[in-house]
Amino acid sequence: DEIGLIPCPEARYNRSPIVLVENKLGVESWCVKFLLPYVHNKLLLYRQRKQWLNKDELIDITCTLLLLNPDFTTAWNVRKELILSGTLNPLKDLHLGKLALTKFPKSPETWIHRRWVLQQLIQENSLPSLATKGNLGAAPVERIHRLVQEEMNVCSEAAGRYPSNYNAWSHRIWVLQHLAKLTVKVLLDELSSTKYWVSMHVSDHSGFHYRQFLLNSLIGRTVTDSNILVNEQNPNLQKEEESAGTEAACAEEQSVDLPRLLEEEMELCTELIDNYPGHETLWCHSDETLNNSHHSPATSHMAQSMDVDGLNEFSSKQGYTQETKRLKRAPMQDSLGPEMEYQFIDKVLSTCRDVDQARFATAYRKWLVTFLGQ
Amino acid sequence: MHVGGEVDVRSAYCAASVASLTNILTPALFSGTAEWIARCQNWEGGIGGVPGMEAHGGYTFCGMAALVILQQEHLLNLRSLLHWVTGRQMRFEGGFQGRCNKLVDGCYSFWQAGLLPLLHRALHARGDTALSMAHWMFDQLALQEYILLCCQCPAGGLLDKPGKSRDFYHTCYCLSGLAIAQHFGSGDLHNEVVLGIPENCLQPTHPVYNIAPEKVARAVMHFLQYPVPNLDPA
Repeated sequence: DEIGLIPCPEARYNRSPIVLVENKLGVESWCVKFLLPYVHNKLLLYRQRKQWLNKDELIDITCTLLLLNPDFTTAWNVRKELILSGTLNPLKDLHLGKLALTKFPKSPETWIHRRWVLQQLIQENSLPSLATKGNLGAAPVERIHRLVQEEMNVCSEAAGRYPSNYNAWSHRIWVLQHLAKLTVKVLLDELSSTKYWVSMHVSDHSGFHYRQFLLNSLIGRTVTDSNILVNEQNPNLQKEEESAGTEAACAEEQSVDLPRLLEEEMELCTELIDNYPGHETLWCHSDETLNNSHHSPATSHMAQSMDVDGLNEFSSKQGYTQETKRLKRAPMQDSLGPEMEYQFIDKVLSTCRDVDQARFATAYRKWLVTFLGQ
Repeated sequence: MHVGGEVDVRSAYCAASVASLTNILTPALFSGTAEWIARCQNWEGGIGGVPGMEAHGGYTFCGMAALVILQQEHLLNLRSLLHWVTGRQMRFEGGFQGRCNKLVDGCYSFWQAGLLPLLHRALHARGDTALSMAHWMFDQLALQEYILLCCQCPAGGLLDKPGKSRDFYHTCYCLSGLAIAQHFGSGDLHNEVVLGIPENCLQPTHPVYNIAPEKVARAVMHFLQYPVPNLDPA
């Protein structure tokens, strides 16, 4: 379930460089400079049609190559061909990728190939009569659910192996968008399951960005997102919210208490900021969560444009007016009073000893004054 | 990025860059592209690889530069973008980080600092009267200090940060960033800000294409001689 390189510059004993301990595969480093060029060359010769390799050999060679260097696109592409011809089970590639990611948690090509494989599996899944490759015996919905859970695990592990792992978190978002279809249930599940993780990784901007993504998606789910880029005015926001709410309620069993969620997020931020002074990410996250809680759920990042000065000029170019912005402020504000935030800032400034923390707190206060106009 | 490959904002920039230099740019070719790029801008103010992703220096440059080429910068929230990118210059190191709460890296000397000339131009076109006529909106000297003092390999070439090894990518983008930091504007408004001896001064680079401005002009002139290719099979 894990691979790694064992630093061992010279072969001291006449024995295999492969070490297998408790299901973990180790390769002694001295052999890499022999092994990698050998398999690399073999594959290239095959590609140039100078030397034939049968399907089993191809599978073996590409597997070896990719565990040594998973960014070798050609090897992944050979496996794509094998999958498309029906000789290779796509699930094997998910497993191979997972293994490669234990040593190379960022590997862009691994993530990209993974998405290709998942897309193949989605397509397969949507076919009514499935001549399955023998592994997924459950119902389609259950299958997708299991895939999603597995992807969440793989992403979480990779995120833990490299700080602010952009590729891992991007993949996680992609899976939610394309496999899980951003259902309320999965969004809420993810919010609760990542809460502990981000508390253990307070400088991981990508992790907190993921939570913003979840919250924004939930906001978008609660009200229809058709009125984000406004061309027409929307005087009847109340009515639209209602009908959108009904729609959402029909589709999902769980209703979303957005104010409560945002409040909990602020509590989480406050607690972490208190416990771990000096992490810019936490303040950023706090900014944005408060921002979300003070504006209509119908607002997208575009409408959140905080142009306090010269607002009219910019807004009219962006296709909405002051009028519309005012109308879009649904009665969702004031659940999180800015007074609480000012109190918090004052407390931080008076008790903190960390220079960065003081700087972030001061900047946050300035932001509150400017952008919230309060 | 290639047939069957991944989709992200880099490819939009590559396509726009190539198409505009070779005079094959048509509205049909980029139909919907500008709007898609704008969707990649997120709540942080920067731009991510695809809509929904975290703001990232490399992607932000690609997105902004592509929109400049397509003349659609106004689709972005320029103010929040400005706020984000200026927040990425590190107060101690002087160089830029790629994302919030990450470490400084020499290559972002171009990806991040390179955004400021583009923003300057876009805001100027909007009639912003507060813009400087002599400096970009970042600390040009501090960036030059970081590059010259921390990013040079004694054996030649440049790098990410002290302790890392040199490579062509970092050499290219450290130097490009240095050029951006040394030269404000062009023509009558050209203002040089060179740290250290005058010999440190590099040739200016074009903030959209990152090649010499004269080369851009020559390429455009050359390809304007040819008609825009017709996509319909005749």
